[in-house]
Amino acid sequence: MGMTANAARTICERVLRLVHADSAEVRLAVGDDLHVRHASNDITSNALIHRTDLSLTVSYGRRSATLSTNQLGGGQLDDASIRRLVDRAQAMAKLAPENPEHMPPLGPTEFATPVTWAEATAAASPEAVIPSIRPVIERARDAGVDTAGYLKRTVGGSTLANTSGLFVHQRSTTVGFSVTARTPTGRGSGWASTQVTDIRDLDLGPVGDRAVRKALDSRNPGERPPARTTVVLEPAAVRDLVSWLVHSLDRRPFDEGRSFLNGLAKADEDPVGRKLFGGRATIFSDPLDASAPCPTHADGLPLVRTPWINAGVLKTLAVGRFWAGKQGVAPQPGPGNLIMQGEGRSLDELVGMVEDGVLVTRIWYLRSVDPQTLLLTGLTRDGTFAISKGRLAGPVKNFRFNVSPVQMLERLVASGVPTRVLGAESDSPVCMPPIVVEDFNLSSVSDAS
Amino acid sequence: MDRRDWLKSVTVGGVAVLAARWDLAAAKAAEVDDRFARLADAALDRAGQLGAKFADFRIMQTETESLFVREQMVQAVSAATSLGCSVRVVVDGAWGFAASEDLSGEGVARLAAEAVAIARAQAGWRKRRVEIESLPRHVGRFDQPAGVDPFAVPLERKVETLLGITAAAGAAGANFCHASLQQVRERTWLANTFGSRIIQSRVRLQPGFAVTVTDEKTGRFAEREGSVPPRGGGWEHVTSLALTADAARAVEEAREKLAAPSVEPGRKDLVIAPSNLWLTIHETVGHPTELDRALGDEANFAGTSFCTPDKLDRLRYASDIVSFRGERTEPGGVATTAFDDDGAPTAGREFFIVEKGVFRSYQMALGQAGRIGRQESNACGYAESFDAFPLQRMPNISLVPGRDPAVTAESLIAGVDDGIFIEGNGSWSIDQQRYNFQFTGQVFHRIKNGRLAGMLRDVAYQGNSVDFWNACDGLGGPLSRELYGALHCGKGQPQQAAPVSHGAVPARFRRINVLNTAEQAGAKTAACEGCQGLVRRWA
Repeated sequence: MGMTANAARTICERVLRLVHADSAEVRLAVGDDLHVRHASNDITSNALIHRTDLSLTVSYGRRSATLSTNQLGGGQLDDASIRRLVDRAQAMAKLAPENPEHMPPLGPTEFATPVTWAEATAAASPEAVIPSIRPVIERARDAGVDTAGYLKRTVGGSTLANTSGLFVHQRSTTVGFSVTARTPTGRGSGWASTQVTDIRDLDLGPVGDRAVRKALDSRNPGERPPARTTVVLEPAAVRDLVSWLVHSLDRRPFDEGRSFLNGLAKADEDPVGRKLFGGRATIFSDPLDASAPCPTHADGLPLVRTPWINAGVLKTLAVGRFWAGKQGVAPQPGPGNLIMQGEGRSLDELVGMVEDGVLVTRIWYLRSVDPQTLLLTGLTRDGTFAISKGRLAGPVKNFRFNVSPVQMLERLVASGVPTRVLGAESDSPVCMPPIVVEDFNLSSVSDAS
Repeated sequence: MDRRDWLKSVTVGGVAVLAARWDLAAAKAAEVDDRFARLADAALDRAGQLGAKFADFRIMQTETESLFVREQMVQAVSAATSLGCSVRVVVDGAWGFAASEDLSGEGVARLAAEAVAIARAQAGWRKRRVEIESLPRHVGRFDQPAGVDPFAVPLERKVETLLGITAAAGAAGANFCHASLQQVRERTWLANTFGSRIIQSRVRLQPGFAVTVTDEKTGRFAEREGSVPPRGGGWEHVTSLALTADAARAVEEAREKLAAPSVEPGRKDLVIAPSNLWLTIHETVGHPTELDRALGDEANFAGTSFCTPDKLDRLRYASDIVSFRGERTEPGGVATTAFDDDGAPTAGREFFIVEKGVFRSYQMALGQAGRIGRQESNACGYAESFDAFPLQRMPNISLVPGRDPAVTAESLIAGVDDGIFIEGNGSWSIDQQRYNFQFTGQVFHRIKNGRLAGMLRDVAYQGNSVDFWNACDGLGGPLSRELYGALHCGKGQPQQAAPVSHGAVPARFRRINVLNTAEQAGAKTAACEGCQGLVRRWA
């Protein structure tokens, strides 16, 4: 399963050999994906998808165009299909106006070998994978709770090759699963997720149990008035807020005066190296970290361990190749994964630190409100609980919040053990700890359960 | 070479090459036309032999073209095509689905076997059986009307249009401006075991732009996105728009927004323009009335709905002047089609979601109607690509205009003593059951004693969907109707994008909760010495 490096190289070379333009770049993506959805404790749909996509960018000087297709001759890449693709891309590039910010292709580079592949995952048949959900469903039925969930098994290979001699082929496997449990009465709801590279590490029963437990515990929520309060955020909630912040750490918008960083740094100061965030916040990316591995390149630039925020100090800004050249700095790709350092406390210990507050399992529909302050809004979901005198004090209705992640890290007072967790709208590899944050703006109550 | 030189240099060759690219896709489609019947028979026969009670076979070709310009730079010219097929089956009461780009006879038969096999992988531990209603048999072809095929329009004309927008913004004083164009053509060939053989094509497109104005003295910046609707149809949509004038006006408004006073929060009357209200309709009426959500099928991602089946014909969703209609037949609508991706006809299946304030119907796809005691779907099945399982997706959903043709935004504003007139959609967020929403906009005008009285900033409006629509006491007439929408509404796991149009008129709402977003951030808003922006003193 998965295309070998030699097979990928052969395809890329066959494409590049036909190019007459000044330069060209080929991207090849091959995937065999299995998607299994269930709801109301029954599988609702299964989908098995085989797909190969090829994207070709050709350039004449600073004119370039990109053409993508999966029409590779009925699954077999024949010469006529390749020639059509190349001819069409070249014709488009000749027509394209010059882009002053065009960058030539990168030359050959050595990349670390990623740790994203597990043969067992690639070899697992759908008939073998689908029953792994069975304990989740059957235990939920026994508990009288409805569950809805989604399992995604990906087996993929991606290749990048260009006319300057760069060639990189990397493969990856993942199995991700998330489940939402809901009680038929009492408005209880709980959620849990897992993600692994090797399917032999997959054990979905306990994941379902966590969601069911949380659903049962969250029945009949009371109403707590909205207020700025201390919250314990579980890893899924931390993930969405921290990811938004780190993906906003970009040099060009700052240099152009339209970043939230412009509100934090003086005009003549580089924000990098300044303590802009809370001192307990340390966030990095590391493609080789086995807890959440990812590819070791981004568009042909090596991905290596990169500190983004270290003890509250901004350490790195992403910067594209053109802007890096203009500003005289090294290009820096954005993160391929994210890991936030924790302080090793258990969730119970974190709850125990809170005199009066709220435990948030998960957040939903996070959106930008004000880019100048990085103010975001969203809602709590699938298990929200009051905390009183260091103990959980019963479920409460969900809240809308209006919070900047900058502000959140400023007020971070404690953290737990990082866990690999899926996000509300993303399944990229991320490890986050639960955290305690003071003065978190829970701005209104939501009746959703 | 500057833009004008470039335009001259490519004018001659542009038509021929782009037309050739379009012809290639059309030629491929013609080839599929010829093979469709044979492939359909191979897939459906194999599925039947293996025990499928129902099967459908869908080939889909998707062509996209995207352009992106920033200031006077063309930063991306890209085109993509995908072509492949899927087999969907119901076997032993379970769905199975498999997809591939292999369009050989052996390939589609293999897909059918894979779809059946994974449907059977849950045998022995499922409780509820999938039951689908009968679909009428149709054999025919539908091509959505498109006056000027956007894929045949020369690239240089498109680039000139976009660079014209950014040039106008630059001349008006924008510090930054980007403009874009997206166009999509879908061709589908659908066959099912009810005997249907349906071939369709649809084209849609959307230009867009955004300007940014910065203030060097304070370090503040303001953005203003264009309110440009997508349209199902041809290039004539783009030429009908006053995009350069809109861009210049957007710069003026961004500048005014930058200097505007911050809003005083509290309960206020709102008059909301169609350019903002369409998204509020989408989020507070469109998504809550999706039957799969209400039944729990989307509980793990998009969520469920406050609008449960027991509320049909009972829930007072809105004030009695408010009705919402769903359909897939409006000319120009981006959800418009002759048959949905389940094979159900759209003509004659138009429906009221809310009629005179009362909740009347859900949006439904194949296999859902029977779960609430109804007979058939209202043709809301859609799959974004050949490898996507069809889901229930929004049809065009529109607010029915008020009866009085004389009512306009101005006359609604005249009925407000102290309020806000909101234009353009900004940020949007709503909970997983669609109760609590919070939206912003692009431009906020203060209303004082029935007249506009300057711009405001830092505005968001927040409320409960049902309370909000019940607070509506004024609707613009038919002449004030505008059709907006989105090309990329997200739903499902894996997530699929779907196009949807929403017609809206200006509407007035009483005593809606208005937030000051700067206060929500906990920021003091005084400009500071030596800072590029503001000193954020967290409260």
